[in-house]
Amino acid sequence: MAWELAAFPADLLREPGPIDGVEVEIVQPGSPVRVTHVLDAVEPRIRPDGRSAFPVEGPAGEGRTNRLDGVVVLSCLDFPGEERPLHEQESIVDLAGPGAGLTPFAGMAAVVLTFSPQEAGHVAIDAEARRTTLAVAEDLARSTLGAEPAEIERFELGPADAGLPAVAALIQLSDLGPLYIQYVYGEPAGEAGLPRAFHPAAVLDGAVTCGEYHWAGMRNPTFFFQQNTLIRELYRKHGKSLRFAGTVLMRGYEQSADDKRRAAERAAAAAGELGADGVVITTDAGGNSHTDVMLTCRACERAGIRTTVVLAEETDSDSTKPILTDWVPEADSIVSTGNVEELVEAWVPERVLGGDLLLDGSPAASAGPIPVRNYLGAANQMGQLALSARTE
Amino acid sequence: MRAVHYLNQFFAALGGEDKAETPPTRLDGAVGPGRGLAAALEGVEIVTTLACGDDYFAEHEDEALAALLVHLGEIEPDVLVAGPAFGSGRYGYACARVAASAAERGIPAVAAMHEDNPGVAAAGAAFVVPTAVNVAGMRDALPRLGALASALASGRELGSAEEEGYLVRGFRRNYVAEKTGAERAVELLLAKLGGETRTEAAGDLDRVEPPPRVADLSSALVALVTEAGCVPQGNPDRLPAVRAQGWFRYDLDGAQTLASGRYESVHGGFDVTLANEDPNRLVPLDTVRGLERDGRVGRVHESLYTTTGNGTPVVVATKFGQEIAGELRDAGVQAVLLSGT
Repeated sequence: MAWELAAFPADLLREPGPIDGVEVEIVQPGSPVRVTHVLDAVEPRIRPDGRSAFPVEGPAGEGRTNRLDGVVVLSCLDFPGEERPLHEQESIVDLAGPGAGLTPFAGMAAVVLTFSPQEAGHVAIDAEARRTTLAVAEDLARSTLGAEPAEIERFELGPADAGLPAVAALIQLSDLGPLYIQYVYGEPAGEAGLPRAFHPAAVLDGAVTCGEYHWAGMRNPTFFFQQNTLIRELYRKHGKSLRFAGTVLMRGYEQSADDKRRAAERAAAAAGELGADGVVITTDAGGNSHTDVMLTCRACERAGIRTTVVLAEETDSDSTKPILTDWVPEADSIVSTGNVEELVEAWVPERVLGGDLLLDGSPAASAGPIPVRNYLGAANQMGQLALSARTE
Repeated sequence: MRAVHYLNQFFAALGGEDKAETPPTRLDGAVGPGRGLAAALEGVEIVTTLACGDDYFAEHEDEALAALLVHLGEIEPDVLVAGPAFGSGRYGYACARVAASAAERGIPAVAAMHEDNPGVAAAGAAFVVPTAVNVAGMRDALPRLGALASALASGRELGSAEEEGYLVRGFRRNYVAEKTGAERAVELLLAKLGGETRTEAAGDLDRVEPPPRVADLSSALVALVTEAGCVPQGNPDRLPAVRAQGWFRYDLDGAQTLASGRYESVHGGFDVTLANEDPNRLVPLDTVRGLERDGRVGRVHESLYTTTGNGTPVVVATKFGQEIAGELRDAGVQAVLLSGT
């Protein structure tokens, strides 16, 4: 089963048509712009065969998909006052200044969608914003149809030397209820029958989308699944230094202690069924999702499957050791995606999109230093970016 | 601005090895190398010199530190300077511990010693200015020590270790690695499968020794404590949904239940809809009152302690715990039902 991803140049980007209740603006790469209240980031994609680029029925990850290279759709929404859920957190993308080093999106043309929702309840508002954002991303890629691709990548797992170690990716997807939900084929992660083995190319092909708005710095936006560095790396190394055994999706924020233990055992069993000798376990959001990751790490190690865990630190500024939300002794191989508590130098943008006031009421254009945790995806725990922390 | 200078018995001119048992001693103004240091300070005066014998400090560290901290508490200096201790292990260790203890109490502190001095590792959050291995380096050390001490006293934000001339302190700092986290993860996993386990973040947990079990719960005073963000309806004291800076105590006034509409959760880390339909499910007052009526617990403490445990730094959470535990102990509470979310 092969899947091809065809890249098309950003100059095919066209101004999208008007959308009711949404302000649309295209910002050039590196513009002195701060984007606030960012919910999600999506790469424009379309399938020439007419099937959805963000399918709710599956299967994704076969045939061909077109992508608009160097373009990102950013959806911005400040949930209306009365409906503002307590757990919504500020989420920033700086396209220039010190914060630009924390995001891949600063180097892209950004299509910024600012939603001005009518009072309808935050669940309905969110559903409509996600639907619209994915539809815009698909529509923007329409200009690639009939054009000449700059590059075609082929994702297919050929035979590999049985002597190479078999490595799987265990990817955690949050589901803690409304506004904390990642979606698998449009279904909340908690209702998608996880943990289970999942076609890795399907993850890259729009099967997983983001609706998780907890700490922005630890968020995995849709773009990071579409361009997942971990899955790409495992495809790249397949047959060379490892055998890519497959992907397991698991839920973060299993609700009870029993659920957590059960899910951890099942994730380890799913990795075992893939024949994995080792797994990279990734994390989504913060808090008790870290407990799910640690229990999964322990279950895998006890099943004889070696683990490396990817997670962010929440380290106090004067601490000489990393502070992790949870930890088990089996987690002896950890990749740190950085300390979300560290402050990023203040910056004065020329323009602000998404909303002029940060959620704490301060003006976005003249805010002081902002912690990494408020920068979208900056310390994401899929290892998408290069931020890390070390003892200095 | 005012500085306190720490020296050992030798540099404070109290005597040599024969005076190494001298307990902490308070001297007015600058003494010995403090005079040279004073000349290197900008806008800072050495008001007091604290001296202690190296043997005394090594053998009675807790008592020595306690006595020195009492002096620091009285003087309230803008900066504490210790040494230079050069290559002297006992003196360097004492300088480092005094400076670290001052820094822990919010007094900017800097010690000076050779970079291989074992004291460097004991300096905690205090700064260490590197010096030569012996006293011949005094002339070179004092201007650099004075400059950093002046900067600390002024309260200005310090630059990097390299820029300001102090030794790296071992704090966690973000940096951009050469490879993505995913690439590094695959490398670490392949290395581990090959028998070489490495990590970028070593885990650790504080182990809290449980106290002895409550001998007789039926006569015990039991308190309810929560980090679930549970507050009287309307959140009168504005407990934050995240990163709380304090905790609150609310009288239960004999309430038998945490009624919906009278209490709510403002916690920002989970969906509070169900919790607010029945706040007893966050803080089980209804159940505990039942146990009280049945005589299975002696009495319910009439104060509810609450905060929001969400994004709370460990050091802050530890402080909350110590403060609340102190009040509960003073109130004679013998057992706590601590509900977390």
